[in-house]
Amino acid sequence: MTALPVAVILGGGLAGHRAAKALRQAEFDGDVIIIDAEPVRPYDRTFLSKAFLQGTKQSEDLFFESEDEYADWEIDLLTGTRATAVDFAARRLTLDSGDTLGFDQLLIATGASPVRLRQPGFDLPGVHYLRTLADAQALQAGIVGGTRVVVVGASFIGSEVAASTRMLGADVTLVDPVSAPMASALGEEIGRIFAGIHQEHGVNLRMGTRVVELRGHGRVEEAVTAEGERIPCDLVVVGVGVRPETGLVAGTGLEIDNGIVVDQFCATNVPGVYAAGDVANWWHPARERRIRVEHFDNAALQGTAAGRAMAGQPVAHAPVPYFWTDQYDINLQYAGFPGSVENIVLRGDPGAASVTVFYFAGGQIQAVATVNQSRDLRPARQLIEAGARVDPAMLADLKTDLRALARRFRPVK
Amino acid sequence: MAELDGFERAMPADEIEEGVMYPVEIDQEERILVKVNGEICALNGICTHEEALLADGDLEGNTIWCPLHSSGFEICTGKVTNPPAVVPLDTYDIRIEDGDVYVAIEPRPKYKEPPKPTRRRR
Repeated sequence: MTALPVAVILGGGLAGHRAAKALRQAEFDGDVIIIDAEPVRPYDRTFLSKAFLQGTKQSEDLFFESEDEYADWEIDLLTGTRATAVDFAARRLTLDSGDTLGFDQLLIATGASPVRLRQPGFDLPGVHYLRTLADAQALQAGIVGGTRVVVVGASFIGSEVAASTRMLGADVTLVDPVSAPMASALGEEIGRIFAGIHQEHGVNLRMGTRVVELRGHGRVEEAVTAEGERIPCDLVVVGVGVRPETGLVAGTGLEIDNGIVVDQFCATNVPGVYAAGDVANWWHPARERRIRVEHFDNAALQGTAAGRAMAGQPVAHAPVPYFWTDQYDINLQYAGFPGSVENIVLRGDPGAASVTVFYFAGGQIQAVATVNQSRDLRPARQLIEAGARVDPAMLADLKTDLRALARRFRPVK
Repeated sequence: MAELDGFERAMPADEIEEGVMYPVEIDQEERILVKVNGEICALNGICTHEEALLADGDLEGNTIWCPLHSSGFEICTGKVTNPPAVVPLDTYDIRIEDGDVYVAIEPRPKYKEPPKPTRRRR
């Protein structure tokens, strides 16, 4: 009898969870083991800064599956467990318990970790980061109506936390060197919309400056900006981006460059070792470039692709990346490939916070963002996938039926 | 008009065309009627991921796409075909009486993906 193959998945986030199920769906007949440092089974992080913080979803609503479901799928969960070393030659992990765990296939789906600020005072109690359920619980416990919150960083996490805490009645100040919330990822036009909507809801914006110091006696009491403004606060939330979590595999010979370098099948340079999700810097075969994506949709699809590859049924992972954010009554969805933008085309009324933005480079639509215009998202995503060259004036014209346009570019099957 | 226990009248069957979503209210809830390959199916009208009206989304082939976060659901089974949703959409029995579609008030059992326990035994 041959030995049972062992597939180990490092990281019980979305990518790891999806990979485990994909292994079974592809009838992988060995052990499937998920290892994660968090004490809970895989859950959906995207709720943490929004519905969970706002109190409309509870922790039990966040889990992808019940405990029983993992048993039914014969997926072993090693939660509350950290891998402390990996030996690719011996194909063995060392765990924080001191035990070792051998593997035949390994998926690294360790995600990313929040960038920590080291300026004076950022180590004071009352300073929060938001990545895990425990982080979100700690943050939520500190917020009641009237709590004075300073949010450092106005990209996705920061802007969502500002909106959610404001909705809970907190007194919120949002600080970022960029010109407007979300502007670094989505451009000035959308930045203006989000600046307007945050102000309308009573968030104090401090754009174009930064928090250089936090002060307090035993606990954070005020944030000091570069201009010397002192903002009194009870609590600080820092959301200034994440870094791929590659600590375990640094110096092992695994190729790392802005994350773990993988091909379109999620394979690393070490045979039998794969990476997926936020940690993976992957080759997009249709775009012929590397890309690393820190969003839900990619983690889901790439996790599935990795599981299939590990089961010996590789399929190329080549989606048009997609993400969304919800703040107050604004739903923003984005599909496409971030990068240099040569020109943008607006469809709709940015003043009414109801607009679709097309990002062009090289005569092609590279990306699209819809602001409360969700009906435009699917046809626009299809145009991007098809690499369509479309007259910008046509896109701007609200009389143009985007669905009909997208059908013209759909590949003939 | 027919009275069917546990069902509510929705709309005339002959008004339902293929490839179009028909939002209807049954038992004060949003439902959607869709005709696929001649078969009329009834689904819950609210996405299982977050509060969104699926009738504002897209219908493509055998899939309903949520307008807010692109969750996909298979028509007639409610199976999740695209994340972020994880919970299948409720589906409902329908009956046609005197030319009208009647939709069951209570949902069918939720779609359940059969687990694939493929581990070899030691």
